[in-house]
Amino acid sequence: MTTQTKKVTPMQEDTAAGIVRGGETLKAHRDRILKATRDSGHYAGLTHCELRETQPIHYNKLFSRLRAGVVDARETAKKIAASPIVEQEGELCFSLYNAAGDCILTSTGIIIHVGTMGAAIKYMIENGWEEDPGVAAGDVFCNNDCLTGNVHPCDIHTIVPIFWEGELIGWVGGVTHVIDTGAVGPGSMTTGQVQRFGDGYQITCRKIGTNDKLHRDWLHESQRMVRTTRYWMLDERTRLAGCHMIRKQVEEIIADEGIDAYWAFAYEAIEHGRTGLQNRLRAMTIPGRYRQVGFVDVPYSHEDVRVPSDFAKVDSIMHTPSEIEIRRDGSWRLDFEGSSRWGWHTYNAHQVTFTSGIWVMMTQTLIPTELINDGAAYGTEFRLPKGTWMNPDDRRVAFAYAWHFLVSSWTSLWRGLSRAYFGRGFLEEVNAGNANTSNWLQGGGFNQYDEIHAVNSFESAAEGVGAMALRDGLNHAAAIWNPEGDMGDMEIWELAEPLIYLGRKVKTNSGGYGKYRGGCGYETLRMVWNAKDWTMFFMGNGHMVSDWGLMGGYPSAAGYRFAAHDTQLKQAIADGAELPLGGDRDPDQTAWDALLPDSARIKRDKQAITTEEMFSDYDLYLNYLRGGPGFGDPLERAPQAVADDVNGDYLLARFADSAYGVVLACDNDGHYTVNTAATERRREQIRQERLDRAQPTRDWMAGERDKILAKQGAEDHVKQMFASSFRLGPRFYEQFKTFWSLPEDWTLTEEELDRPSYGAHYAMDISELPDVHPVILVEE
Amino acid sequence: MVATANEGPQVLGIDAGGTMTDTFFVNRTGDFVVGKAQTTPDDESIGLLESSADALANWDMAVDDGFSSLRTGVYSGTAMLNRVVQRKGLECGLIVNAGMEDFHRMGRAIQCYLGYAYEDRIHLNTHRYDKPLVPRERTRGVVERIDMMGNVVIPLREYGARAAARELIALGVKGIAISLLHSYKNPTHERRVRDIVQEEIDAAGVQIPIFASADYYPMRKESHRTNTTILEAYAAEPSRQTLAKISTAFEKQGAQFDLRVMATHGGTISRKAKELARTVVSGPIGGVIGAKYLGEQLGYKNIVCSDIGGTSFDLALITKGDVTIRNDPDMARLVLSLPLVALDSVGAGAGSFVRLDPYTKAIHLGPDSAGYRVGVCWADSGIETVTISDCHLVLGYINPDNFLGGQVKLDRQRAVDAVREQLAEPLGLSVEDAAAGVIELLDSSLRDYMRSMVSAKGYSPASFTCFSYGGAGPVHCYGYTQGLGFEDVVVPAWAAGFSAFGCAAADFEYRYDKSLDINIAPDASEDQQTEAAHTLQSAWNELTENVLHEFEVNGFARDDVRLQPVFRMQYRGQLNDLEIESPIAEIDSAAGWQQLVDAFNAHYAEVYAASARSPELGYSVTSAVMRGLVEIPKPNIPKDPIAGKTPPAAAETGTRKFYRNKEWVDARLFHMESLEPGNHIVGPAVIESDATTFVVPKGMETWLDEHRLFHLRDVPA
Repeated sequence: MTTQTKKVTPMQEDTAAGIVRGGETLKAHRDRILKATRDSGHYAGLTHCELRETQPIHYNKLFSRLRAGVVDARETAKKIAASPIVEQEGELCFSLYNAAGDCILTSTGIIIHVGTMGAAIKYMIENGWEEDPGVAAGDVFCNNDCLTGNVHPCDIHTIVPIFWEGELIGWVGGVTHVIDTGAVGPGSMTTGQVQRFGDGYQITCRKIGTNDKLHRDWLHESQRMVRTTRYWMLDERTRLAGCHMIRKQVEEIIADEGIDAYWAFAYEAIEHGRTGLQNRLRAMTIPGRYRQVGFVDVPYSHEDVRVPSDFAKVDSIMHTPSEIEIRRDGSWRLDFEGSSRWGWHTYNAHQVTFTSGIWVMMTQTLIPTELINDGAAYGTEFRLPKGTWMNPDDRRVAFAYAWHFLVSSWTSLWRGLSRAYFGRGFLEEVNAGNANTSNWLQGGGFNQYDEIHAVNSFESAAEGVGAMALRDGLNHAAAIWNPEGDMGDMEIWELAEPLIYLGRKVKTNSGGYGKYRGGCGYETLRMVWNAKDWTMFFMGNGHMVSDWGLMGGYPSAAGYRFAAHDTQLKQAIADGAELPLGGDRDPDQTAWDALLPDSARIKRDKQAITTEEMFSDYDLYLNYLRGGPGFGDPLERAPQAVADDVNGDYLLARFADSAYGVVLACDNDGHYTVNTAATERRREQIRQERLDRAQPTRDWMAGERDKILAKQGAEDHVKQMFASSFRLGPRFYEQFKTFWSLPEDWTLTEEELDRPSYGAHYAMDISELPDVHPVILVEE
Repeated sequence: MVATANEGPQVLGIDAGGTMTDTFFVNRTGDFVVGKAQTTPDDESIGLLESSADALANWDMAVDDGFSSLRTGVYSGTAMLNRVVQRKGLECGLIVNAGMEDFHRMGRAIQCYLGYAYEDRIHLNTHRYDKPLVPRERTRGVVERIDMMGNVVIPLREYGARAAARELIALGVKGIAISLLHSYKNPTHERRVRDIVQEEIDAAGVQIPIFASADYYPMRKESHRTNTTILEAYAAEPSRQTLAKISTAFEKQGAQFDLRVMATHGGTISRKAKELARTVVSGPIGGVIGAKYLGEQLGYKNIVCSDIGGTSFDLALITKGDVTIRNDPDMARLVLSLPLVALDSVGAGAGSFVRLDPYTKAIHLGPDSAGYRVGVCWADSGIETVTISDCHLVLGYINPDNFLGGQVKLDRQRAVDAVREQLAEPLGLSVEDAAAGVIELLDSSLRDYMRSMVSAKGYSPASFTCFSYGGAGPVHCYGYTQGLGFEDVVVPAWAAGFSAFGCAAADFEYRYDKSLDINIAPDASEDQQTEAAHTLQSAWNELTENVLHEFEVNGFARDDVRLQPVFRMQYRGQLNDLEIESPIAEIDSAAGWQQLVDAFNAHYAEVYAASARSPELGYSVTSAVMRGLVEIPKPNIPKDPIAGKTPPAAAETGTRKFYRNKEWVDARLFHMESLEPGNHIVGPAVIESDATTFVVPKGMETWLDEHRLFHLRDVPA
């Protein structure tokens, strides 16, 4: 990782006495650590780790004690919360940092924040917080500013410095995902706003407490800035209690083991994490370059997307080509050249979000170890071109649902790594990619307790998992941002949401086909009940599948929305008529629609992103949680597994034939069995059809090249996506031209398209604000 | 222990584990004997009688002589749990809400990693679901909906229930569980379905037990409630048969008592009890209850219970004489709604494997273990990875010739070679320093675990006594208690049979829980508080009837039963509550309500932090609990005359090289059963018994008291 600060400070010792152990200022300390890292190639210049090498037992003891401390704090503190997002879904995380703001170790949970809270600490260090407002024992800081690196405004950080004998020796941070941050619309990851100024209440590393007590002005201000005040208060107490538990644990350990050992540990552990990643890469992958790409849709021209600005009302596509370069020594570089520009929506990501968040994915596959810390970040070089959606160059950018792009971009990294694992024979580590972690059911109004309320269902924490190279992906099990999936009990969600369940069911056919299929997602049907002045909206992928299959496997099913108003279900219930229940098992059959009166207003289409829409009691809303992608050619799937899928309602019977070439017979009980001989014939037939359709690649490319030259065959939003990638990624542009043998002067620019491109030419970063020193952790 | 002739035994405790069955007999004077035999899963009574014969032989007593004088017997065992883990229960049917037929098999997602260690919890490709207890094919839905407040949204469509019942009966199910959403709040639909199913069963002329969740576990969270109700049908029914068989076998030996079973809430219930799934975990609970009983008898109010066996380290806390109860625990990778004695388990026992991470060289203990196969040191074990026991052997902690009373011969050299190759050389340490390092690491992680359990909850270890038992507890108790400043550290001389002892000491106690939703604003009027008081009291009244009914079945009159009302409270809007024993027997006023609130606020600050208290939100009572107890005979605690400080010469069996803190010393060896009350031993010493080893390192000392409890402490400076 290349580390630099924008405004270079001379590398000389501060003369003023600082608060860091030994008398350094925070800034001098961090500068020294960074310089030593740069000069030596080892974190903090630790070419050898004295404590770990000479006293391995002592070192391990410190590690296991501290790790147990942060894990225990998370488990205990989350019981204070009222929000099911925190308490049931575990959307919280605690991390311990050294004095320079680098993470030493972390609890489980939303591990993405290892880096985002670190970035907040570094922001305070680089911007003179030591001098003003000052950093003292007992202080409490709060941050959720996306321009310092936070993922989205709903992730609130509480940060507490740790002092020993009057000197600062580190920091502890706690984060929870709150249910509402007072954005334009209710919910934590809203869609309507297109700029930061509607993205929700944002706090920049503010000192909110002294002597372990929160300031009254903070309490008064913050509690009226959000809709769900009770959740907000108890979430804050959860974070603060957890930070204080960890601080106490650190103090006890220092009392037992000595400050010198702790201090050494706080830096050696990070170098240890760096070398651990390197060893792991060496052991599990094959050196080389791995290229992959991710896309997802932003369909904003639709009438159900109500945005304030004309220039935002366009359909666009996110584009992330990536290249993983693994070197022989186990070092590696991730380059996202060719990514498209940030946009007027809430799906942009700060560079810290991107680089920190990637570890929540990597820890599920490459480094599933207790040793998760900033060492991995120091062991990785990132290149995120400035101006792209993962490194925006404008301070007006909104971030509320950064995950829409992140999950769609990172699913391609699973494929890259999986090819490496496959090559080394680690078939059990192969994973065809993560599901698009949607839909997000959100909304608000007055709830069943007659209070102002916002809802944000986290049923999305249990999506289908990508297939492995030796077994199917797990059904309804996890989300890329938290491997510990939990769909929550219906009885708990009904406490938190004025929405009655009419169904909770495996989403048939949602897993990608393959020799090993992707895990199926699930779906829940909700009926509005006891709500007043109520709204809801949808958030997910619709027109595009964002995950892909691997090695012949198919992507999962795409998203869609179903909602119904004026349903007259009250009457249907009273009449004992058949009701829409369970799942929308086969969307092509639209069985529910037939149960509703002609006058009902039904929204059933691929428009899976909407903004606040009014709902009344007895209206319906389908929450469809996506499946995962498949692995390998479906024609190689064991025919019995296909029959089992149909019998278990994981696959619609007609796709046994069309996708898998498996011929099934159905008995009187509705049970399917395999017709082996017919299956063999059918598969042979499909293989022949494939050959009949095939043409030489060269011929196909020639035809496509003609279309590119004529600029035909692609819609404007596709052209605009490429045009923005070409503009921000000159190398990508050159490679594109070379690949398609295009003339040197061939161009495609946004100007030639008949659509607005606000933001393409004029941008202003926060670094241009007075006295602001942003922390930059990547090559731009 | 060696005992003299005496009047017949009075109390029997049984711990039927997966491999060994322990029995514990106590006579009127408190003398006891412990027996061991292999468990016989096909007919548990065989192993039980063999274990009893082994125990009673110490008193030169035949089994039928011993049984005829017994006044009470308590069983604990792992059979039910194994049945669940191995999915060998009865084929049952399940009736849920129409549209929700999949929720049981979906396992709430959480069940695909329950019970995993940290690293596997984040390692996605290791996650997997166990088979559902009831497959989708035997699940049926009925149309109805009741909301969270208990109001009917969709009235029950009875014809659906009838059709479901008929279909399940036709499938030949052996039990039918029913669980409808929010039935804990309003059970009318669920009970109506139950009655319809019964009508259909009667009409079909078959016998199939029905289990409606509202009748058994009326608690919020349908995944938990449904799993638990299914367990009742799936796993508990076969246990009824097992227990009946054991009872019959005992009767043949002349027994005249009704066998009781240790339950998850820490009391015992009749083998005929309605909610037998409550006994799914019982053995480890026995130890906690044994410690609680010893505490009551000897005046220890605050106790940390620590139990190390072959595979795990179990910890529980007794504060002011009470155990903590968890209401929605998980067990066998299932979320459940049973009240369970809060028992924290770390996957670190004597058999735990020790490995170095190939990429980071970090030392990993467990979580998997060699179990009964000990380690590399047992040549016949087939084990190739170093275990904690191997390290014990290298360091001289355990006797290679007396493992399980000499039944298993251990080879120290094999352990030395394995530690050298797998740990010492890669870490650049000597063999003994590597082995000692592993033990130090284990001790330190157990110690932190204890510390977090005690001090993180706001208590100080100085007011706690630590009890150490289980086969390997006394080996490590010096290590995991050192420096924590416990008031006292106690090792019972019968540490290896302590769980069976605890079973014998458990109360005959029923406990019923009921979910409530009493919400009181911070500024609630006196009338509102009074109304809340009445709602709570009427729930207590209902539960009292349930409790008394259970006792009546076992022939106890209402007057025999001591009732303890309990409530669970939280700040309004929270999702986690705390369980509090009501300071008042009945509540009918706002003043009473205030007493409950005060008790809750005080407890909350102890468990979390004073800064986390949120009285400005108001209060919710989430459930009412009623516990009922009757007095039954229990083991007397032994009380022997105090002998001299010096152990009898016959008790000292020699010396062994022992390594700790970078030095080899000669540890004196003693035979545990030959020591006399009053004897005083200064470390380094190892006190050996057939089934346990008590290590007293240099700098520490122990003495045996009149109750046959060892006390461990630092040698005073």
